[in-house]
Amino acid sequence: MLPRGSEGAYMMYTPDGRLVQVEYAAEAAKYGSPVVAIRGKGFAVMVARTKEPDPLLDPMEKIHMVDENIGIAGAGFTGDIQLLVDQARVEAQRHRLVFEDPIDVRTLVNQLGQFMYQFTRYGNVRPLGASLIVIGSDRVGNHIFQIDTRGLLLSGKALAIGKNSEAAVSLLRGEYRPEIDMRDAINLAVKALSSAEEGESPVEVGIAKGMSFKKLCLKEVLDSGLPS
Amino acid sequence: MTTIVAIRCADGVVLASDRRASKGGMIGSKAVKKIYPIDSRKAVAIAGQLSDANYLVNLVKAEAKLIEFNRGFPLTVKEVAKLLSNMLYSGMRNYSPYITELLVAGVDEIGPNVFEADISGAVTDEMFTSSGSGSPMAYGLLEASFREGLTVKEGAEIAKRAVRAAMERDPGSGNGVQVMVITEKGSEFLDAGGAA
Repeated sequence: MLPRGSEGAYMMYTPDGRLVQVEYAAEAAKYGSPVVAIRGKGFAVMVARTKEPDPLLDPMEKIHMVDENIGIAGAGFTGDIQLLVDQARVEAQRHRLVFEDPIDVRTLVNQLGQFMYQFTRYGNVRPLGASLIVIGSDRVGNHIFQIDTRGLLLSGKALAIGKNSEAAVSLLRGEYRPEIDMRDAINLAVKALSSAEEGESPVEVGIAKGMSFKKLCLKEVLDSGLPS
Repeated sequence: MTTIVAIRCADGVVLASDRRASKGGMIGSKAVKKIYPIDSRKAVAIAGQLSDANYLVNLVKAEAKLIEFNRGFPLTVKEVAKLLSNMLYSGMRNYSPYITELLVAGVDEIGPNVFEADISGAVTDEMFTSSGSGSPMAYGLLEASFREGLTVKEGAEIAKRAVRAAMERDPGSGNGVQVMVITEKGSEFLDAGGAA
């Protein structure tokens, strides 16, 4: 048994082989508002709902540009998400300095995963209470990735993180079709998002295709159609 | 000393070199390798200080392999050229330059590509290029013979003739020609036949 109050200073296994601080961090990430991402043929999309609008406040953005071809949305502590987004942006620019080309999504998520993993190995640090969805387009193709608090990478056809993401995932599992087009993918993602968390506030959409990433609000997409 | 040539063709790239290493006024070696594969579809031809060039090529080979393992797909020719040029540039800036000039050629998903990286770290994208003490003579032949849309077979012939021409007049170049052809399918050394 650890002395009272010293729990945070240690990153040690419990007798049954778990790292409780990391599990607590994963718990924190589950309270963040959800993000859903879907990959189809020739594109990848993600959707996330911004905070309830307050007439006194400017709306907070939920989807962050990392480079011209990659975007990130996180669930969890805002500060931790911002730290990871900053890290990703620096990594993307560093890659440009070395290669004169935009970073590929795999390299970026590998580095972010390593960064997050480091926080699970040492005492006196707090594992980041945030999980991320990273989508992007590079010369290999279009990608969606999820990185959890441990630094574990997941990729696939459809992913969800944040509050009640199990509901979103089970809806996606039932309704995802490999031949889904972009408009249907956005609609399905919004449906999955709403199944995880109801809300009235505006939805942001991130679209990755053809080596570029664009951020729009859902209203724009529905009103003026999809960007070509 | 040396003559190296690289040509970008429609279906691949060609690299060619002579085989001579000079030690002052002496011929240090008559069978030197100046074309090094980086991976199955990329290679570098070297001119200048052999030790510097070998060091850089080995480093980039290792780096390229590590990057490919991590991200799951190989580097482009341009990325290989940039890795080399970054080292060349920092060498120049730190007053201990790598005394070498490198021709980076290969086929990637963009297509056939030829780059030249010089001692200062400058990288240029070329249709055809030559380096080393024999390059003025090689350029004479290349300028007269090169056209767009060459096949690698035609390119290999031109590259071989360019190196041979340089070997006739440049005392720093000689002792035979080595030619490498790289296409979508992979790379191979051609038997250029007989020393000139």
